[in-house]
Amino acid sequence: MKSNDVLGLIFSNSCESTLTELTAHRTTASVPIGGKYRMIDFVLSNLANSNVNNVGIVAKSGFMSLMDHIGSGSAWDLSKKRSGITILPPYAGVSFSNKVETLYQLRGYFEDANEDYVLISESNIINNVDFTELFYLHSVNKADITLVYKNMMVPEKYTPMTISHDNIGKVEKVLIQPNVKGKCNLYLGTLLMKTELFLELINKAISENELDFNRLIQKWVDEYTVFAYECPGTCAVISSMNEYYRFNMELMNGELRKELFKADRPILTKVRDDAPCKYGLTSSVKNSLVSQGCFIDGEVENCVISKGVHISKGAKVSNCIIMQDTEIGEGCNLNYLIIDKDVKIAPNKSMAGADSYPIHIEKKSVIK
Amino acid sequence: MIPKQKVVAMVLAGGQGSRLGVLTKKLAKPAVPFGGKYRIIDFPLSNCVNSGIEAVGILTQYQPLVLNEYIGNGQPWDLDGMHSGANCLSPYEALGGADWYSGTANAIYQNISYIDRYNPDYVLILSGDHIYKMDYNEMLEFHKKNNAACTIAAIDVPKEEASRFGILNTNKDGSIYEFDEKPEHPKSTNASMGIYIFNWKELRKYLIDDANDPESSNDFGKNVLPAMLEAGERMFAYPFEGYWKDVGTIDSLWEANMDLLDPNVSLDLNNVYSRNPMMPPHYIADGVTTQNSLIADGCNVNGDLEFSILFAGVTVGKGATINSSIIMPGAVIEEGAKVEFAIVAENAVIGKNAKVGASPSEVKNRDDWGVTVIGDNIKIGDNVTVPPKAMIDKDMEG
Repeated sequence: MKSNDVLGLIFSNSCESTLTELTAHRTTASVPIGGKYRMIDFVLSNLANSNVNNVGIVAKSGFMSLMDHIGSGSAWDLSKKRSGITILPPYAGVSFSNKVETLYQLRGYFEDANEDYVLISESNIINNVDFTELFYLHSVNKADITLVYKNMMVPEKYTPMTISHDNIGKVEKVLIQPNVKGKCNLYLGTLLMKTELFLELINKAISENELDFNRLIQKWVDEYTVFAYECPGTCAVISSMNEYYRFNMELMNGELRKELFKADRPILTKVRDDAPCKYGLTSSVKNSLVSQGCFIDGEVENCVISKGVHISKGAKVSNCIIMQDTEIGEGCNLNYLIIDKDVKIAPNKSMAGADSYPIHIEKKSVIK
Repeated sequence: MIPKQKVVAMVLAGGQGSRLGVLTKKLAKPAVPFGGKYRIIDFPLSNCVNSGIEAVGILTQYQPLVLNEYIGNGQPWDLDGMHSGANCLSPYEALGGADWYSGTANAIYQNISYIDRYNPDYVLILSGDHIYKMDYNEMLEFHKKNNAACTIAAIDVPKEEASRFGILNTNKDGSIYEFDEKPEHPKSTNASMGIYIFNWKELRKYLIDDANDPESSNDFGKNVLPAMLEAGERMFAYPFEGYWKDVGTIDSLWEANMDLLDPNVSLDLNNVYSRNPMMPPHYIADGVTTQNSLIADGCNVNGDLEFSILFAGVTVGKGATINSSIIMPGAVIEEGAKVEFAIVAENAVIGKNAKVGASPSEVKNRDDWGVTVIGDNIKIGDNVTVPPKAMIDKDMEG
């Protein structure tokens, strides 16, 4: 099978309910992460870098920032004459309340696509994977369905589905929400199958009123040839505020950055024309990631700073994630905060969360 | 049919820029990296877009590969319209033979049909090697108000530097009565910025006359402008106030970059568009200083910086120090290396504990001092010392 024979489908609202404040005004897919990225950039870049040229993004609600971010899709080179990105919002009174029903409502989209295969994935999986290996193994294994997993700890507030397979990778059992301690083969919400089979299975599920997608997968394991594929390299599932905070802080690790941001498989994103970051005469920066367009004149330690952030002289900012265009006044003292976009903090304010409980400051807040 | 454009801009980008030495060995001067993430040509192109000019011809000749690739379809500058946008115009073969662009005026002459397609009222001639921000509309209004055939942007330069420029001697109303090319005793400090607005109908006529003159060197400054003045055309100097710098030499390129770090200089980088690196934010390690520096995405900073500019994807090793230097994309400064008053070109590698360049205070005779330049993809071995003012285009072994 060829990569350009695969249709990508991404759910934009993955783990929305447990990402609480971050997804109050936006869908999970467009939550800012890693300084200059949005969550969906990772899976979208993985698809684009694997030559999947046609991608649908299921938008359930709060997708204005997602549409703004995706634009024409040209940032991922997915704005082609014959293919590209399609945002799939609810239509004609249909609400996307449940995964199985959503997929059923979108059957027209799958039927119209020329691709013979469909790859379904989530928007909160952070990794850098070449899917062509998955495509290759899927055909070598003569699999009907391939499930992608990672041997890892269950992320916080995440409903795990675990996979056990035999020594050639054939799935033997899938468990929903088992009681696991330590690492397990965690299903990453990513699966590959023939479009035709997929449509048939979704139709069948609707007629049998089987609306639980995970339960469906469990059934398919008994009825079809289902293989498992472990996604290589590092992988994070952003399922809660703590997981989000922890992952951003882990990016200070050079080895992790090397694994995620590869020159030959870059993570692509919509880029704004910001100037390089300017460091002032009174700046002092330690162990931090800083994006373009910033002006830093204060003290910064263990922070992930997005584009266009202004940190004034004498301000002390530690262990914070700061999203774009936020302004921090002189002499502020901030610790363990997740500061959303366009926040203004007046001079000499002190605010702090804790390592185990970073406090979120809402988008466009003005702290006087 | 192509819709009419009121103004067509033509950017002269074919020059070699030989005074930039190794920096322009494999690319044209307008493609030289500038200011941490830009190339010089981003400035005139951004000015065009910000002035509402949608048709921009870019005249390329010397080493055009990097420049052509960089311009691409013009999308980063919003110059990718259906009927307008950025077009790279190289010399071409036609019936009767092929000619290189023999001079600035000849480059425009050979592209008369490109300009004619848009049926413009005015043509704006720009250089691809100047750093400045300007609203060309204001200059055009000035041009129209004076009912001029040609308007030349002029900047007030210090008296002692005036003899390095083309000086425009003007009457009280701003009309030009004399061009003085690099005069020994300048009568004024009104220097031409190499930015011209012409009424297209008139310029077209003078270009054809110039092309038919076998004696002409087909240059705007030497031939076309004096011919127009002689014929009694209305020519005006448009006074420009603001930052402007010709970055044709190593020193001026270095200075213009350093100007970005000077809070007293009015040049800012807002609304300057460019292609952007696809790299993560830069990382600053614990225990290093980055004061008064500009740093682009993708850098990994483990050493100390002061008054320096790091382009995208630069790696600075532990214990390295960089002072008053410009480090271009992808260069690596290894552990313990010391780089001072230098320009390190793309993907060059400075080995461990090497010493590149020196501060002026370290040099006894001021004439021995200058900015050190390391060419692209050059490797400077461990512990090697590269003296000030050196220009390195071959690897140096440790």
